[in-house]
Amino acid sequence: MKIGIPRALLYYRYDLMWQVFFEELGAEVVISPPTTPAMLAEGSSRVVADTCLPTKVFLGHVLSLVGKCDYIFIPAIRSVTKDGYNCSKFLGLPDMTQAVIPESPPVLEIDIDVTRGQRQFYQAIYQLGKHFTWDPLRIRRASLLAWQAYQRYRELMSEQKLTLPRVIQRRGEVEGAVCWPVAAPVRATIALIGHPYLLYDEYVNHRLIYRLEQASNRVVTPEMLTMEELELAATRLVGKAYWAYEEEIVGAGGHYLQNGADGVIGVMSFGCGPDSLMMDVIQRQAARLKSIPFMSLTLEEHTAEAGIVTRLEAFTDMIHRRKKER
Amino acid sequence: MRVTLPHMGNLCIPFKSIFQRLDIDYVIPPLNSRRTLSLGIKYSSEGLCIPFKLILGNLIEAAELGADTFLLPGGYGICRLGYYAKTQEQILHDLGYKNIKVVEVVVSNDQLSGPSFVKMIKSLSNNASWLKVASVVRFGLSKLKALDQVERVVQKVRAVELVKGTANQLLAETVKAIDQADDYRALKTVQSDYIDQLNHVAKDEQVRPLVVGIIGEFYVLLEPFASFDIESELGKLGVEVKRRLFISEWTKFSLLPNPLKISERDQLYRAAAPYLKRDVGGEGWESVGEKVLRAKEYDGIIHLAPFTCMPEIVAQNIMPITKEKIPILTIICDEQMAKTGLLTRLEAFVDLLARQRRTHYNKQLGVV
Repeated sequence: MKIGIPRALLYYRYDLMWQVFFEELGAEVVISPPTTPAMLAEGSSRVVADTCLPTKVFLGHVLSLVGKCDYIFIPAIRSVTKDGYNCSKFLGLPDMTQAVIPESPPVLEIDIDVTRGQRQFYQAIYQLGKHFTWDPLRIRRASLLAWQAYQRYRELMSEQKLTLPRVIQRRGEVEGAVCWPVAAPVRATIALIGHPYLLYDEYVNHRLIYRLEQASNRVVTPEMLTMEELELAATRLVGKAYWAYEEEIVGAGGHYLQNGADGVIGVMSFGCGPDSLMMDVIQRQAARLKSIPFMSLTLEEHTAEAGIVTRLEAFTDMIHRRKKER
Repeated sequence: MRVTLPHMGNLCIPFKSIFQRLDIDYVIPPLNSRRTLSLGIKYSSEGLCIPFKLILGNLIEAAELGADTFLLPGGYGICRLGYYAKTQEQILHDLGYKNIKVVEVVVSNDQLSGPSFVKMIKSLSNNASWLKVASVVRFGLSKLKALDQVERVVQKVRAVELVKGTANQLLAETVKAIDQADDYRALKTVQSDYIDQLNHVAKDEQVRPLVVGIIGEFYVLLEPFASFDIESELGKLGVEVKRRLFISEWTKFSLLPNPLKISERDQLYRAAAPYLKRDVGGEGWESVGEKVLRAKEYDGIIHLAPFTCMPEIVAQNIMPITKEKIPILTIICDEQMAKTGLLTRLEAFVDLLARQRRTHYNKQLGVV
């Protein structure tokens, strides 16, 4: 059985976990190729114009998987921490995909809602595993292995300060992970904060990390911080955070504004509901602290490469100058 | 301490009576205006939705009048509304209003917020007894109910009145009278009085008006300013408007205990289930459900949503595929919206519905 995973949205967070889980259960995993302009155009043509960029990219990836797999895996993740909550788009993703792409292969769904309790959570995993095997122990083993793989990958990122493409490269899977050496000598450390699906999708962000690293900057991202560091910084800024993934963004923003970086770039997509509030919180914090420069980059279909390059150059030049003056 | 709360439809009227009766110092912000909106836009980030901007405008205008305690919606399991309060508090703080207090009113669907609401009101009052607080809140709720009852009649009358604007004028008078009503008896008299008056407005008895359902996001549905008072405009075009969402309908289930967990919403959820299986926050699930359920009842549906509203975008993407077909016009509300543009779209939509009805009628007669 071939399971298709679109290389978009939560793929950039859970790819390894899902892959291990399905392979452990004897399925073959097909991941869609990196985003292309055609994918985005096709994805956009299926939905109403105000749908956010990452969702359009996601649908483009689903379209590219049509005919190449037996099932498509689209989870509906409601919460990953107790009393956390996720953006509506993630919750409606399986249904929305089926509605706008009627030709898509059958969708494998899983409802993840940690708030409803452990039992429900295990039940959901079991329901998903049942498509492959009747043996609950095998499903249990697969999910444990998947969870360990995920933990290892988080550790790798936070301990060795690696970006996602580098972690993938380490895994020995060169396909899809384009890596390059950072141009030496490193002149500044720039923190990129934003959702992984924006930071690591080379087409959507116009090779943001590559450009920064080529200009002799070290890039740090939210995943390079430990959960404790993130939580601490987030609590300082917004109290008890309630959004699933935005806590990471606020936490990383709050952390990097005070230590470990020479400049912070907030990357968000136009029309992103959670980010419209969370980036605002960080921007206000930056204005209050006046510690290091902060720039916000908003990505959308019409973002021109030249515009991004100009802004990045201006921003990095300013940081380099600031460092030299000190 | 001076308490205030943002506008949403006639929400301030029950709260006013609660505050007055408990001797709480309060200020109601000026009604939504261009200035409110401009203030809201100026101090919030561009990607935020229109409810946030208008509410922020209300808060700033109230702060100018000396308000320092803000009742704001909040809670878990909804859309970004849950974070409004925290962000708005920071914005007000940055604007120089340092000594402010934000009190979050939990508005989650699946939580029992009645007791916590009464508790919140008690904490604002000067140590009033539980009994008093409860009875005052109850009276506030009945004001809300009376307002909504009258508004339901107004929606019907607007479509068929001979002199356009009569119903709206009566509604404005009702709001004033209900605001001034002191006890249950006065409230009841006002309600039946005005419903009576509305029933006696000169109407075109022959016409069978088109029926349009209005669905979508809570705030833009209930706050006329956010949608250029779309209901009155439809009334002028001779359309009867039906709306499920009223503040009183909503408090009925989320404010009072509901041990059996029965709610009209379940019917909507069941209807939506084949197309959208889970709650996506806000009113997204309900919107899909309402389309499916009411496709036969209404001539058309107008779907209102703020720009970048996450739940409504999901609903908007799913609605076209339902088997139950009915014309839908989605109107995205934001600060860029112009009244002329809205009116043109409404006229076109109403024309389409009228033609559809005519064709249908002719088919029945076998004339086609």
